[in-house]
Amino acid sequence: MSTATSRRTTVPAPASAERRGSRRAPAHVRRRARTAGAFLAPFLLLFCAMYVAPICWTVYQSLFRMHRDGLGLSAPTQVFAGLSNYSAALADPAFRGSLLRVLLIGVVQVPVMLALALGLALLLDARSTLFKRFFRLAFFLPYALPGVVGAIMWSYLVAPGLSPITAAAHHLGLHLDLTSNSMLAPTIGNMLTWGWTGYNMLIIYSALQAVPPELSEAATMDGCSAFGIAWRIKIPLVRPALVLTTVFSIIGTAQLYNEPAILHNVAPNLSSTYTPIYAAYDAVDANNFNAAATESVILALLAFVLSFGFLRLVQRRGAAL
Amino acid sequence: MKMHSGRTVAAAAALMTATALLTGCSSSGSTGSGAPASGPVKLDFWGWAPGYDQSVALWNKSHPDIQITFDKTASGSKGGYTKMLTAVQAGNAPCLAQVGYETLPSFAAAGALEDVTSDTSSAKSQFADWTWNQVTIDGKTYGAPVDTAPMALMYRKDLFAKYGISKPPATWDEYAADAAKVHAADPSVYLGDFGNDAYNYAGLAWQAGAAWFGTANQQWQVSLNSASNQKVASYWQGLLDKKLLKTDPSYDPSLYSDMASGKILSDVNAVWDAPIIASSVKGSSGQWAVAPMPVWDAANPVYGNDGGSATAVLKGCAHAKEAAEFALWMSTDADSVANLIKVTGIYPAATAALSNPALSAPDPFYGGQKIYDVFNAETAHINTSWQWGPTMTQTSTDLADGLGQAGTGGSKLPAVLGTVQTKTVAQMKQQGLTVTG
Repeated sequence: MSTATSRRTTVPAPASAERRGSRRAPAHVRRRARTAGAFLAPFLLLFCAMYVAPICWTVYQSLFRMHRDGLGLSAPTQVFAGLSNYSAALADPAFRGSLLRVLLIGVVQVPVMLALALGLALLLDARSTLFKRFFRLAFFLPYALPGVVGAIMWSYLVAPGLSPITAAAHHLGLHLDLTSNSMLAPTIGNMLTWGWTGYNMLIIYSALQAVPPELSEAATMDGCSAFGIAWRIKIPLVRPALVLTTVFSIIGTAQLYNEPAILHNVAPNLSSTYTPIYAAYDAVDANNFNAAATESVILALLAFVLSFGFLRLVQRRGAAL
Repeated sequence: MKMHSGRTVAAAAALMTATALLTGCSSSGSTGSGAPASGPVKLDFWGWAPGYDQSVALWNKSHPDIQITFDKTASGSKGGYTKMLTAVQAGNAPCLAQVGYETLPSFAAAGALEDVTSDTSSAKSQFADWTWNQVTIDGKTYGAPVDTAPMALMYRKDLFAKYGISKPPATWDEYAADAAKVHAADPSVYLGDFGNDAYNYAGLAWQAGAAWFGTANQQWQVSLNSASNQKVASYWQGLLDKKLLKTDPSYDPSLYSDMASGKILSDVNAVWDAPIIASSVKGSSGQWAVAPMPVWDAANPVYGNDGGSATAVLKGCAHAKEAAEFALWMSTDADSVANLIKVTGIYPAATAALSNPALSAPDPFYGGQKIYDVFNAETAHINTSWQWGPTMTQTSTDLADGLGQAGTGGSKLPAVLGTVQTKTVAQMKQQGLTVTG
């Protein structure tokens, strides 16, 4: 009670002192603000020019469309379209299909990849593991390869007529076409998993490194098995790293482009609107910048909703725990 | 005092970054604006065909007042057109560009072309009428035609003999029969390839008189799904259903690897594909030959055309007159045309150029055959009323997707044409064009 009252009485004092002080030393504060501004300016300038301005321009472009008359063989005029580009994009089965496709690939591939990454990270972290440095490097190596190079390599590994995998399956009496319509998504999922597991593993592994060894020691003394330590101690403690890698993976999958674009060279049945970014690029090719802008905004919103939705979900559950 | 100097440095650094950014923008802007009043006029030319740079070099030698810089871009459908259209939007496009006839209406519809009718009209009579019509849209001329692309059958003479084909198929019925014969003799060998190139397929439709686009009463007519188009589609679907054709993607390494190993015996393609095959399967040099494209009706032969392009003048060109002058020169000058025939493999659009000696040179890859004789004989029988639509980029992408699907058995060609028709009409309507069909 006494502390509460004392706190209440002391609160106005520093505030008034500060007010008096600020009147006496405005130059000092202003100088600090100027210094901060000078340090921030390069970042802010680049941030606005390279990030905010293009986003604003994209949103602006998505609200217009090109209008032509009759045969339309002369220069078109730009007219305000409101949200009609959005309704057109969402009504387009090809674009809707591309959104569903990345959702599906994400729902299947992201958990598989992260489970794999977590498993590998735990194995690397286990005390009894041999050749840790070698394995850490070996698992990480695919990520060190440029994504396009990895995609080209895989496209040759799955190309009909060239694929050693198909040839081996044929030898075993199996008919396997890794670029048939139904196999395209698994093939792309495999390329993604191959390329990104090591990267995610490294993030989780470095989080594991920060887990104090005393906790594991104490658990061992309490009779906890290695599996139990991983499940009850380590995984809960690297939860933030798992959340982070999931959010990155959701955003990465939404922006899927390299793998399908490269795969298209050997799999002509892969449509040019296979993923949303592919579809937006296709619209640019057709000189329809407004549609491309609209599709980009929709994709950005989707990635935003999914990644922040996921964050909110785990934060709420984290608070409940 | 120390703090003060630190702050000054920070402020100076920020200022320098800002000025660097600003001057970076403004300096690139100033180089884009027109050439100085004195000195030669400088023009940029974007294209991808091999040999264009050599024609440009010939021009630069003889025309010191107008200097052209040729920049090689990716081929049109592989990003070249996107680059050109984007540059026009950004206001820093080159004056000259290689644009295929099939894409010119799309460029016109995008407002990306400069009207050079008055600078070119006197040259009209030097070109085959229909090629002039390809660069003249709605009464306005946008450049000069360079070439046409009659199609033919390029085939392995030795392997045809090996599989018992005594003479190259003259009709599509014979082609189908030969395809079955070859495949029966060796299931791993195919008479031809059904690729996924939309414009190669367009050449097949063109030959059959199966128009895709037309205009009447200021309205577009789209007829991709017409009865005559369905006839062509059914023929090829029939061969695909019987698995008588290989389905390697067009111009893909796998196609040339199959040609080199004798798994694919022939290709129905345009005149400009002759040097491409020659350079892609060098090992079988001398074994190839060129025969006329198979026809639907032997009594009344009609052939197809796959390609042909123009040198177009792009919107915003400050020296459109000089640009047009170069475009006409490149297509008509004897040395330039000889170079384009030899290196690019063009079949010239200029009528006088048809007597160019380069057209009667024997080709060692094709066993010393004078291959242009075949194309010369065909040109009188090529349908010249073919018209391209204003959304060809979209249409050709959709069709290429469909051809790829048909090749892998994912869908059937007649259905593909229906889909492409629907998408094309929807796309045109969305752009505000008046469409029937």
